[in-house]
Amino acid sequence: MGYEARSSARVPRAMVMQATDPETTVSVLDLAAPPAIELDRVTRRFKDKVALDEVSMELRHGEIHALLGPNGAGKTTLLRILAGLADPDSGEVYFDGQVGNDSGRFGRGRFIGLIPSGERTFYMRISGLENLLFFARLHGLRRRYALRRSLECLEAVGLSEVGKLRVGQYSHGMQRRLAIARALLTDPPILLADEPTQGLDPQGARTVKELVREAAARGTAVMWTTQYVDEIRGFADTLTLLNKGTVRFQGSVPELMATTSARRYLLHLGGAADAFLTAHSVIVRVGSMSPNGAPGHYVLALHDGIVLGHALALLTGAGVDVLACREERSEVEEAFLNLTKERI
Amino acid sequence: MSVVSAPSPASVFLRELRKVAAFFRRDLLTAWSYRLAFFTSWLSLLVQVVLFNFMGQIVAVDKLPTYGSGLITYLEFVAVGIALTTFMQIALTRVQAALRGEQLMGTLESLLLTPTTSSTVQFGSVAYDLVFVPIRMGIFFALVALVFGASFSWSGLLPAMVIVMVFIPFVWGLGVASAASMLTFRTSRGVVGYGILALALTSGAFFPLEVFPSWAQDLARLNPLAIAVQGTREAMLGGTGWSGITGDLMRILPFSLATPLIGAFAFRGALRRERRKGTLGLY
Repeated sequence: MGYEARSSARVPRAMVMQATDPETTVSVLDLAAPPAIELDRVTRRFKDKVALDEVSMELRHGEIHALLGPNGAGKTTLLRILAGLADPDSGEVYFDGQVGNDSGRFGRGRFIGLIPSGERTFYMRISGLENLLFFARLHGLRRRYALRRSLECLEAVGLSEVGKLRVGQYSHGMQRRLAIARALLTDPPILLADEPTQGLDPQGARTVKELVREAAARGTAVMWTTQYVDEIRGFADTLTLLNKGTVRFQGSVPELMATTSARRYLLHLGGAADAFLTAHSVIVRVGSMSPNGAPGHYVLALHDGIVLGHALALLTGAGVDVLACREERSEVEEAFLNLTKERI
Repeated sequence: MSVVSAPSPASVFLRELRKVAAFFRRDLLTAWSYRLAFFTSWLSLLVQVVLFNFMGQIVAVDKLPTYGSGLITYLEFVAVGIALTTFMQIALTRVQAALRGEQLMGTLESLLLTPTTSSTVQFGSVAYDLVFVPIRMGIFFALVALVFGASFSWSGLLPAMVIVMVFIPFVWGLGVASAASMLTFRTSRGVVGYGILALALTSGAFFPLEVFPSWAQDLARLNPLAIAVQGTREAMLGGTGWSGITGDLMRILPFSLATPLIGAFAFRGALRRERRKGTLGLY
């Protein structure tokens, strides 16, 4: 059997790959390896609409790269181009330095795992295990090994107990996890995840992220699309922010956060009934305050150049009890909105 | 360091063949999950046999063509036609129906993302039927012979099977071409339906071609299904040996060589077009 799991050590900027094709043995180890994925001015149009406009980016093995953007930004189109399911109008896609525009007779499934965004991507009348077994065999794994690998992947995503149930009986979250299991069947060097946490509860989303993080730790290059901006903090190494097909930002999450600072905060004030009047009278010099629904809760908006500590000092100096204070929106979300607002 | 050993064509072929087994298992399990339909399809076969037996009782045997030395009954005449047209209908519609099903289920892109050739996807999609339909045909002939006393020349079974084998690529090619049309236009039911109707109507499966006007008879004799039906009847009912079917085989062969090529060309073109447009998974 040509298939072997790759090293569990994190291997940024290096690649250790065993091919998923059992008849082909590919072994590459190169510390100066080219990026797992490189896009060079990729453009794609749908009639008059520009879905992607000269998008360039790089993604290295072991890296989680978030593709961020509002609806219609071009995220799924980009993923479909990477997966070989759609062709770019112009520009080049490279995988490990090789031109990838021609996906060849056997497609890119040899080295790409895809977690599609749709819910119905399985055969509903057969079990989760049989689904995995089917796809494992289409990836060229022999029956016995395909079964073992399918069971391992079911175990990894916590679906062992329901492996023999029909997929039609699975919840949305279970189907998402099964999609991850399928994408990991061959432990591909590249994993494309199209909004994998969409519609999942927080626990389900966390499980999915942990599974993907583990894959990245084994050296898999992960492209993760999302419109839930806060989920990339502490998760993605780098990101590209797309809006209407154009790249609005590329860099790390801290770099994205540095492009903005929070200007609006949610305050919870205690004390006397006239606390708001007192607070308002002192805050008017540095910003503004307005009620925010429940009694004692307000939105504090600061003028440019005013720091939060200054405003809080004014409030406490005036005898106002500040029980709680937090950002109305995270810095990531703020940056996201700033970078996309003029075009939404 | 980079070490790459390319697989040999033989190992690629074997690997793709193993994938066909995976398709077969998937479709068997899916069919079995619809247990009622699984059993009622056998019941409908029985009903069909009974129906044609009764119809046969109102058709005079001297109105039917003769095969070999004796007269034949309508049930014997039509049994061969039913078997071949059923086979053709399934072969023609199955690939495109399977692909359409994959599109609607949302599995087509996942399927095409695996390192599987489009030929394997096409062949795998009909693997279950290629096993199931001959079994069904065999049981159909056994029922007709044992329950209703139809008489077949069992020595002609092997030549008849050869005719069917040579006929398969023709239908296969048309089926793949219709699948290509489905990929492009999202539906090909109308075109395929009319095609099947036209081929079946002019095949002589249900009535002798002699009832047509002479010009229509000449056209109908170019229909590969008509040639296959005629050849199979000569083998199964008249006991014609290999020499009797050679002419039929030679007439089917050009069609069986041409349509798979046309089908494969059309299918690849349709896939390429969908990839270019980025609409492969849309329905």
